Amino acid sequence: MEKAERRNAGLNTFGPGAQALFHGCLGLFALLCIVPFLFVIIISFTSEDSIRQIGYSFAPLGWSTQAYNYVFQLGGALWRSYFNSFLITVVGTALSVAICVLYSYPLYRKDYKYRGFFNFLSFFTMIFGGGLVPTFVVCKTLLGLSDNYAALIVPLLFSPFNVIVMRTFFQTTVPRELIEASTIDGAGEYRTLLQVVLPVVKPGIATIALLNALAFWNEWFLSLLYITKNMDVIPLQYLLMRMQRNADFLAKNAGMLGADAAKAARNLPSQSLKMALVVFIVVPIACAYPFFQRYVVAGLTVGSVKG
Amino acid sequence: MKKVFALILALAMILTASGFALAEDLPTITIMFHGSNVTDDTAVLEAVNAYIADKVGAKLEVVWGTWGDFDEKATNALLSGDTGIDMVFTCSWSADEYNTYAKNGYFVKLDDLIAEYGADLVAAIPESLMQAATIEGAEGMGIYAVNGFKDTATQNCWDVNVTLLNELGYTLDDFKAMSFYDFGELFAKAKEVKGDSFYPFLVEPMVLERMVTGSIIVAGDSGSTNLLSLYLNQDDVSAEGPEGNVLLNKFATEEYRKFAEKMHEYYEAGYVDPSLAVAETSNDTRTNTQKTGEYLIGTQSYAFGYEFSADVLDRGIEVAFVPCTEPYVDTTASQGAMMAISTASEHPEESFKFLALLNSDPTLMTLMNYGVEGVHYNLEDGLVAFTEERANYSPWTNGMGNVTILPDTVDEGAGFRESFKEYYAGAKGIPALGFVFNNEPVANEMAALGTVAAQYALALDAGALDPADTLPVFLEALDAAGMQAYLDEANAQLDAYMSAK
Amino acid sequence: MAQVGNRVKPKRRFNARNFWLTTMVAPGAIWLLLIRYLPMLGVVISFKDYKAQKPNTFWNNLIKSDWVGLKNFEFLKSPSTATMIRNTLAYNAAWIVLVLVLAVTLAVMMSELKNRFLAKAYQTMMFFPYFLSWVVASYFVLAFLDPTSGMIPSLQKSLGMKPTQFYMTPTWWPLILTISNLWKNVGYSSVLYLAAITGIDTTLYEAAAVDGATKRQQVWHVTLPGIRPMIIILLIMSVGKIFNADFGLFYNVPQNSGPLYPVTQVIDTYVYNTYANTHNMGMSSAAGLLQSVVGCACIVATNLIVRRIDSESSLF
Repeated sequence: MEKAERRNAGLNTFGPGAQALFHGCLGLFALLCIVPFLFVIIISFTSEDSIRQIGYSFAPLGWSTQAYNYVFQLGGALWRSYFNSFLITVVGTALSVAICVLYSYPLYRKDYKYRGFFNFLSFFTMIFGGGLVPTFVVCKTLLGLSDNYAALIVPLLFSPFNVIVMRTFFQTTVPRELIEASTIDGAGEYRTLLQVVLPVVKPGIATIALLNALAFWNEWFLSLLYITKNMDVIPLQYLLMRMQRNADFLAKNAGMLGADAAKAARNLPSQSLKMALVVFIVVPIACAYPFFQRYVVAGLTVGSVKG
Repeated sequence: MKKVFALILALAMILTASGFALAEDLPTITIMFHGSNVTDDTAVLEAVNAYIADKVGAKLEVVWGTWGDFDEKATNALLSGDTGIDMVFTCSWSADEYNTYAKNGYFVKLDDLIAEYGADLVAAIPESLMQAATIEGAEGMGIYAVNGFKDTATQNCWDVNVTLLNELGYTLDDFKAMSFYDFGELFAKAKEVKGDSFYPFLVEPMVLERMVTGSIIVAGDSGSTNLLSLYLNQDDVSAEGPEGNVLLNKFATEEYRKFAEKMHEYYEAGYVDPSLAVAETSNDTRTNTQKTGEYLIGTQSYAFGYEFSADVLDRGIEVAFVPCTEPYVDTTASQGAMMAISTASEHPEESFKFLALLNSDPTLMTLMNYGVEGVHYNLEDGLVAFTEERANYSPWTNGMGNVTILPDTVDEGAGFRESFKEYYAGAKGIPALGFVFNNEPVANEMAALGTVAAQYALALDAGALDPADTLPVFLEALDAAGMQAYLDEANAQLDAYMSAK
Repeated sequence: MAQVGNRVKPKRRFNARNFWLTTMVAPGAIWLLLIRYLPMLGVVISFKDYKAQKPNTFWNNLIKSDWVGLKNFEFLKSPSTATMIRNTLAYNAAWIVLVLVLAVTLAVMMSELKNRFLAKAYQTMMFFPYFLSWVVASYFVLAFLDPTSGMIPSLQKSLGMKPTQFYMTPTWWPLILTISNLWKNVGYSSVLYLAAITGIDTTLYEAAAVDGATKRQQVWHVTLPGIRPMIIILLIMSVGKIFNADFGLFYNVPQNSGPLYPVTQVIDTYVYNTYANTHNMGMSSAAGLLQSVVGCACIVATNLIVRRIDSESSLF
């Protein structure tokens, strides 16, 4: 933040004309990005009658808070899954950031002997995978990831993509002289990493943390795979996806299920309810985002010397 | 060293042995249901486990699969050889296909178990359903799942908004005298009365096509999105159809062309909601509109007693179901809801005992399906009246097994299950009943054909595409994807089946 | 003295350093071996007729099932193959370029804004599409295009025109899919680039300013070279995914409408649709293997080119 200001104040900048153009482009695009979310909020407050008559609209015929009343009626299950989402995201993000930084730092170190090997070990998994069922077998029968929180965290702990991004951050922001200086001072590898390197790559860490937090927050497929009996651990996102998938299944098999499908469809939640749940999912992470963002910029104030 | 090892081994043996002797713990068997809406099963399982402890010698656990999750969870459990799932729902119309999984060795062959423990089960379930479950599996001809006694016949009906029909100046008898090709005048009048944004014809396009042309889908063909068709004898379903016992590519028939042309005419005239022609919006649109009663004629695959369900009563209009044909039994309907035992199960015997009991013992079936008396329902004059707790415990009734041993509910009225039983016991089978198409030799053709069909079939059935332009292109694409080879293989199998029968 | 120390030290502390660095890598490496590499044994399913054996356990089934050679790859004989491969490649190729250009442009613009408050607001808003799933995004598209109540057909009707049947007309979909994809991904990528830009050493700009470079020249000679490693890495990785399509975009957004398949069918939706119908594990496994092999070839090729031009930025 300070750095950006310093740069703009101290050095020459783009003129007012260019600034206006930038604001125009960015503003328009930003607006386009936010409109669908406003739209989701509008649908969540739209009355069912209006949806039936004119479909989704920015200007519905009638308003209603029925969807939210229904969401609150979910009561225990809703708050429980909300809590789970937070727990999984916080624990998962902390662990995965730690693992990611620890893994990518030696890959940045040119003097690390097995750099090439571990680089490849991680990268290879980006393109080759064992497939759904074999992974399921390993996780469930070998590692016991079934009906517990671990099942919703462990399979997502490591991302080769994030390792590459993090490694690139090390390369672009940490001058190698810094490490040499630290080693000459006799600091151990862990101390060098924690006290010298980490403060410099804070923006990178914040970015990785954001990516991880989003991945954990939005995850639902793991619940589908690994949670069969203990529904006390499922996150909010899965609660929503389950409703969606129920509707999809009934749509696909209506011809086979006949009257059963019609009866089941009666119990499905309304569209406005689904949108209300989307609001519940998006709002916390959207609120957390500026926090990450400030961190990204604030981390830059630590001016480390380059060159 | 050896000594130590032997000692440890002996110690371990003693421990395990005493463990077995001391623990009165019964083995746990796990069952996986489809389509349930259950958030709290503690009361039910407590009662069930007390009830089955002696009769089955095991403790029950349940995985309550929901509509959207079941396929994924069940196939993962089966394909991964998961020992944690002992019994699993299966049927002929979904991804967890009975015939395929039985053939590939995932289900236990039950014949020996039936002979040993299944006397009550055999007595409770009609002979025809036992036959329908008898197929060529991994261990040869036999029964690989317990077939549920539910709505086992198919009957497609016109779903008529009688209130509106009368308003237009017609009686239900007038309607019954009409065919699909005469509906135009009704629709035109309805549009006049209700305005331009009213869509009188609320169809499930695939079902409509079957109703108009009399085509029947074939078990084992769902992978091609049911391209193969037998044709029904509309006057006597147990007799051979107009084409004989031969499978046709339904889109190549003259009947289909006529149907698609008429449907396109209706669509262009604005009688059909365009959302019905798009895969992901079709069913949502239909069920939502059905609820409001804003239609004149709809289609419905019917189940006995459906007209008394809240779903129909709440529409705010008078509804009549006018059947297209008498109810008929085909392989698909007779393998509609079954329970199989996984070959990965460590307790097949206990599992079978449980399934046999569930399907023959009214107490257990009522407990599993309707919950605990005094909690989930109360009895009023012998009829089941559900309490509010039922919202937390609503399994899919028809997916559980023999529903004919359930007590009647207040909504259904006394004697409902008796009439239900009679209705389905009286349904006649089609001549090819029992035939299951083994798609393995033409699996690649099936996959290719499925994509081609998905591109055109729904939109054509709903009338959104002009058959004059589209149908020739469609048929050509089907040919290129191997339609002829697919048909030939299926017909060879059907001929072999019919001559063996 | 220092020089000598420098030369000697690495040799002397060679083992210790590698040991400590290896302990850092260890947690990730163990995870990779267990959760990524062990299941890779399952790749043989691509060449087998996977069936339950006696006893029915996964590994036993894997070992004892019959080898069937390339039979599981025969789905490629389908007439839809050419279409789905063309669609997958063409969309990906076009979007890699579009997303890159737009995201970098936006990131540079944001970094140059004087009004920090608005810059932050834009950045936050641009991340929003990333929060919404394709299912939700598809409702939004539906609100515009729905044949009965969508905004565009309604507008056409009120103007006395015949409403366009979007879900039956393939013509519009390359455009609709492109807009949807840009909407969802540009903001996200630009945040990555922005983070890289803010990491560029300020003194470089100062030096450039001293040399009399205009702001535009600074962008060209300082900013872009500064984020080049990030650009190249993201580029190589998206090239590696050129045979994989974003499933939700191609499935949910067009509402899986059949008549649109000529322009919306991609490898992932094709495999999904067939797998949902047939649950043929061999086929889906084979399709995944094929995507991996092609992706691998693309990455190696791109990396080779990058290494020629700029060895520092190459992936390996």
